[in-house]
Order: sequence, then C-alpha cells, then structure tokens
Amino acid sequence: MSRGVLLFGFNSPKVDYVSMASYTARRINNFLKLPVTLVTDEESTENYYEFEDFEKIIKIDSNKDNIFRDDIWINKGRYMAYELSPYDETILLDVDYMVNSDRLLKIFDLLEDYVCHESMCHLMKPEITQENLSDFSFPILWATVIGFKKTQKAKQLFDCMKMVQENYAHYGHLYTFSVDTYRNDYSLTIAHRIVNGHISDKKNILPWNLIHIGLKTKLYVERKSKYNTKYTIVFDQWKNNKLKKEYINIADTDFHVINKEVFLELM
Amino acid sequence: MDTKKLVADMKARFAHNSAKHYLKEKYSSKFIVADQGGLWKADPNTLSFLYTAQEKTILVDLYDNPITIDAQKLYKKLLEVYNLTMQEWHEELKELEKTR
Repeated sequence: MSRGVLLFGFNSPKVDYVSMASYTARRINNFLKLPVTLVTDEESTENYYEFEDFEKIIKIDSNKDNIFRDDIWINKGRYMAYELSPYDETILLDVDYMVNSDRLLKIFDLLEDYVCHESMCHLMKPEITQENLSDFSFPILWATVIGFKKTQKAKQLFDCMKMVQENYAHYGHLYTFSVDTYRNDYSLTIAHRIVNGHISDKKNILPWNLIHIGLKTKLYVERKSKYNTKYTIVFDQWKNNKLKKEYINIADTDFHVINKEVFLELM
Repeated sequence: MDTKKLVADMKARFAHNSAKHYLKEKYSSKFIVADQGGLWKADPNTLSFLYTAQEKTILVDLYDNPITIDAQKLYKKLLEVYNLTMQEWHEELKELEKTR
C-alpha cells in the first residue's frame, strides 16, 4: 500500500508556484515522511534544474484560461489527480498549505474513499462564518486538502469534478454563484453532493477545521530555516474607532496561507 | 528575525482571545482517534460513557456509524489521549497567559 502527497504547481506571470511547491514538498518530507509528486507543465519547469524534494514530476498541458485578481491562475485540471497519482492513498494538497506538524497523517486513519474539509476558521477572525456556495445555498467544501484512495467512489468524485469544470457556467447558473473565476472548492462541493445523491455524508468530512491565515494578515517567522514551526501573526483590529495592531504567536500548527505574497516571504 | 522586537516596534498588543481561540483549533484534531473500526473523540462525554459501559457495547462514532466495541480497551486508549492532549493544551495556555 503506497502513500504519498500530490501537489499541483503551475507558474503564473506573478507567482512562482513551483518554488512554493518545492518548499512545501521539503516540509512534507520532513514532517510527514511521505514522498511527494509534483504535477506541473513544461513552461513552469524550464528554469529549474533541481527537483530533489520530489519523488516524481509529472508534466501535463496546463489550462491557462482562468483569471483571478488580474493574474492567470492555473488551477483547472485538478480532477486529474485521481489518474495521475502514483499512490494507492494520496493527500492532494495546495502548495500554499504550510505543513508544520504530522497532523495530516491522521487522514490515513479515517480514509474510506475520500475526505476533505467542510469547516474552516480564520485564526484572527473567529467571527467569520463558513462560506456558502451562494446566499441561498449550502456550505462549500475546501479543495485545499483532499485525501483519497483509488476506489470507485473516489473516481466518481473526480470524474464529477471534471464534469463540473467543463460545465461551470451551467452549475454557476444552477447554484447562483459567480463564474468569473473557476474554483476547485466549488467543483468539489458540487461533485461531492452528486456522488452522494445530494445528501452530505459525514464520512467524507475531516473532523477538524481548516485553518486559514487571511489576506490582511502579516506573518513572520522566528527564524528563516527549512523547518521553522514558530510564527508571529500580526493583524489590524478596530477598537473604539481606532485601528490597532494585535499579534499572536503560533507553533507546530498547519495552516493555509491565502495571500501568496505572504507565503513567498516565509520561504 | 527578532519577532519580539518587531511587535514592540509596531506597538502591537498581544491578542489573548485570539490566542485562546488558536489553541482550541490547534488541539481539536489531537482528540480524534481511530480505533476498533470507528472514529472517536476523546472528550469527557465519551469517556464517562465508556467508564460505565459493559465490556462489549455499541457506540455511534463520529461518522454516525454504530460500532461494536470493547469499552474498556477504548476507554484506556481515549483516556490516555485525553490526558496527554489536555496537559499540553493547559501548559501552552499557561505560557500564553504570561504574555503581555
């Protein structure tokens, strides 16, 4: 039974996702002791010579027709994870997920077909509520971390994600969400509901929250090193009509960095 | 980077409530245990039930599946996880309360 982590990383004109993937792979190797496979394209890898942090590099033709905040965001094709993964049990991870512990290994204990996060929290803004697919819809699932086995049901999920991606405008119209930018979170949410007969099944949901470090947050490392796990988070808080800076210290905790620039500064 | 100097220069205040919230998030997954074909949370409710239960009993796990379990074995395992995790959490909270 082979286990490993799959990362998708395609460089955009503004963000070096392959470097981010390389940094994340190093941390996965260290904290999870798992091999990492990178899915990327020819263009993203032409300036890189060393891929020692990866067990395998898979090059595919990338789809560049998604735009987010005036930049190309190559996030389509995530459904290929099922076919591309060389592992029997895979953790499919976003490259901006900061691994600081072995928490993700717990996924293998509870994995039947696939699992992902439904609930999340913003560390400095606990009042932020769960995101819904639309105003009158249901909570979204997060594609940041997906654990899956090569089972029939997991295959159905990824096949369904492909269908949603290819018919994104239709599903946007059906569930009334904006289709300006393609999001894997949305296609995962819809696919999960389809393969479960539109009944949410708890066994596919990770029983802990996905921790986000939000956009308007600064993150500092104690010491820039390969495996630093201590951070200081600084954020602005309105108090008595004044904007005040507050901070907390965190350690040995995995989190998802929403702001790519913040992630790049940590590397 | 000297982050202590950094936050002092910024005149940033330590956010006790956010830090407390963070610790709760950090430790929440550490109470989750997969054992005897089910997924369990080492919390006071489950421990209380297991303490009083017959040797073989049926308990609904976190994924809503009724599972036949050896209550004593599960109790021992969950209690160990509970004590260890609460101890770590408690110690980290005590450290945090010293921060200004």
